[in-house]
Amino acid sequence: MPLICLYFQVHQPYRLRDIRITEIGQGKPEYFDAEKNRAIFRKVAEKCYLPANALIEELLRTYPNFSVAYSLSGVFLEQCKEYGPDVLSSFQRLAQTGKVEFLAETYYHSLSSLKSLEEFTEQVHIHAQRIEELFGQRPTVFRNTELIYSNELSQIARLMGFRGILAEGADHLLNGRSPNVPFTPPTFTLPKEIGRVIHQQRQGGKTPEQITVLLKNYRLSDDVAFRFSDRSWVGFPLTSDRFTDWLVQSGGHSINLFMDYETFGEHQWEDTGIFSFLRSLPELWEKRGIRAATPSQVIDLWKEEETPVYDAHHAISWADMERDLSAWQENAIQRSALESLFSLEKAVKERGDSNLLDLWRLLQTSDHFYYMCTKYWSDGDVHKYFSPYDSPYEAYRRFSHALCDLKQRLETPKEKKPARGLLSLLNLTFKQKS
Amino acid sequence: MSLRSLMFGWEYPPLHLGGLGVACQGLVQGLIKNGVQITLVLPHPVPTESEDLAILSPTEKHVERIRVQSMLSPYEGSEGYAMRTVRMSKELQQIYGADLPEAVAHFTAMSVDMTQDTNPDIVHCHDWMTYGAGMAAARYHDKPLVTHIHATELDRTHFHPNEWIYRMERKGFQAADRIIAVSNYTKNLLTEHYGIPAQKISVVHNAIQPITAQDREPPIQAISSAPKPPMVLFLGRLTIQKGPIQFLEMAAAVHRFRPDVTFVIAGEGNMMAEVINRACAMGLQDCILFTGKVANREADKLYSQAACFVMPSLSEPFGLVALEAMAHGTPVIISKQSGASEVVRHGFAIDFWDTEKMADCVLTILREQPLAQQLRSEAPRSLQHLTWMKQASQVRSIYQSLLS
Repeated sequence: MPLICLYFQVHQPYRLRDIRITEIGQGKPEYFDAEKNRAIFRKVAEKCYLPANALIEELLRTYPNFSVAYSLSGVFLEQCKEYGPDVLSSFQRLAQTGKVEFLAETYYHSLSSLKSLEEFTEQVHIHAQRIEELFGQRPTVFRNTELIYSNELSQIARLMGFRGILAEGADHLLNGRSPNVPFTPPTFTLPKEIGRVIHQQRQGGKTPEQITVLLKNYRLSDDVAFRFSDRSWVGFPLTSDRFTDWLVQSGGHSINLFMDYETFGEHQWEDTGIFSFLRSLPELWEKRGIRAATPSQVIDLWKEEETPVYDAHHAISWADMERDLSAWQENAIQRSALESLFSLEKAVKERGDSNLLDLWRLLQTSDHFYYMCTKYWSDGDVHKYFSPYDSPYEAYRRFSHALCDLKQRLETPKEKKPARGLLSLLNLTFKQKS
Repeated sequence: MSLRSLMFGWEYPPLHLGGLGVACQGLVQGLIKNGVQITLVLPHPVPTESEDLAILSPTEKHVERIRVQSMLSPYEGSEGYAMRTVRMSKELQQIYGADLPEAVAHFTAMSVDMTQDTNPDIVHCHDWMTYGAGMAAARYHDKPLVTHIHATELDRTHFHPNEWIYRMERKGFQAADRIIAVSNYTKNLLTEHYGIPAQKISVVHNAIQPITAQDREPPIQAISSAPKPPMVLFLGRLTIQKGPIQFLEMAAAVHRFRPDVTFVIAGEGNMMAEVINRACAMGLQDCILFTGKVANREADKLYSQAACFVMPSLSEPFGLVALEAMAHGTPVIISKQSGASEVVRHGFAIDFWDTEKMADCVLTILREQPLAQQLRSEAPRSLQHLTWMKQASQVRSIYQSLLS
């Protein structure tokens, strides 16, 4: 019987406000739409996070062989602080069951892996620390933003101390092989420079000899995430019995079901029966002798001598039909936006202003670039569905205004510290007195 | 199966930029390519002058033209008509009638007389002036009636309609077996303001003729090598519908940030004097150019030179000019209250009253080269799927559904 590895992605971006050109350089305009972000967060919290967490907690406590993994983006955790302490504590209760694994990712759910190794490693480090603070466990398995993955990234993750990494089971890389076994990236030596940068962020501990790649079984994952309520789909209506049959038939070491957590209650509404479907799975699995396992357990339980090689020479991801970077880097405005953003890295870091650094990093969130996607005519409709803006061009307009303002703030001389002003004032009074 | 459509239309070929004439021509040519035979009935004030057979190309052999003597011309309400009749001789006025209702009645009666010998499968009429003729002909031939709506009286008058025209339109919609609206925007307007059931209305968006190499006018040779200041273009009739005042407000907001930008207002209309006065009052006299009415080639030049095209219409059933601008590779900012916003993916759609945001979009396009370039290259490409051949095939299948 294959293991079932459930991993849910939990993320909410900070959507941009309708910034106007008249505000640029005028004091400190707010970049993000607090009202909208709060409204969306609360809506998703009520429809998905809170009921889904309650259900998962119940299942974890009831069924000894049930476990799950989550990756919570840093920007999601930030929004928990602002808009949903109840959501955060429900995740902490899940952590207390001891049956939940939390994965590592870039804190800002960013595309930094494409642009700056230094920035990337810093963000992964910040994220790992935060996860440890909040949930009492240090992640050992890494998943990059939107499952963006390549051979090089895999080796970088290994040098950073991770023993596992998640990736999309892309047909063109699998070449007919099953995604249901652990893989390994091809071995090669990274340039010394990369090692040096990574070393600066290392927390001690041994560098693993190997890194294991767990591949998403996208057909079975998408049966739940995308097709569950699709009445025109031959599998409709999907019962837990039938789905479990498919899992067993798929075979292998582990079936890796990776999906957005918002599948439960938000993408698939409660009235589709998605919660009852989820509820009935662990009981059925228990009866049929099927175990769930977290990514770390899947790796631990892999005892075969030979681990096949997954060779991702070019970057892949879990987005769209193309499973490449085109959801964020296909058109000119997307590329220019990312390029301009990262051209500020040096200035932002030299400035040493933590507020500006935070703003710069919040602009790295992949969603900003996703909203600029213009692949409308095919699966681009998905982009439109998920976009809070009227159009990709509106996304770019807001983003470019924020970036312009940030640039101007980096160019203006640093404000003098008020303490010094006060001091000189005191000095003056003192002089006058004397 | 060969289909014969008896069509009541306007000018052919079109005299105006954008608008009804162009749409009718495109549709007629598209229908012919889809194997529909068309008898086109046109009103024309000076029949002898316009009987120009040379305009007919061999591919249009199906188009028989019957010109009906009439004073009517598109886009005129009773006010414009009154102005025109004043200029006519007393004798002619007697023939055509001194007021609009009489003229329409005359047009209607003559149109039926002249089409007695045609043997149509379907009767198809375009906008309110032809609805009477279409209804009479459909009754006479006992065939299904399609009324095509390109612009309603509510669009033209910003919801202050001439009651008589409004009633004519409503009658035409009610009598029709099927209504073709040029956009969902118009369809909604018909259901909300004319009380027409939605299931009776089909939406067929207008298409755009592909731009040939010659249409892409190279910008006029610059005398100095210094970069020319960016130009923002308005092209349309200067009437309340087209939002020229909104254009001025947008221009003023842009001007505050970028005094180097020039604005061109191309077109004429009853608001010309008001718009000029307002522009001066806003202090825009040195950066706005009024061209008056422009011919096709001049329009092509303007499109090619513009840094962006703004269509701030208050209510625009479709807005072909926006698509023409896009076809020339000009970035567009259009009113959300338009049918074009349903098909324009590569551009900005803004509420017509939000002129500050319109200005913001203009300024963003001027500042962000990658954005301008992407709009220039993507917009024309995105129009390629919107052909008259394809849109006319939708009309043909509407015909067929009515006949089966």
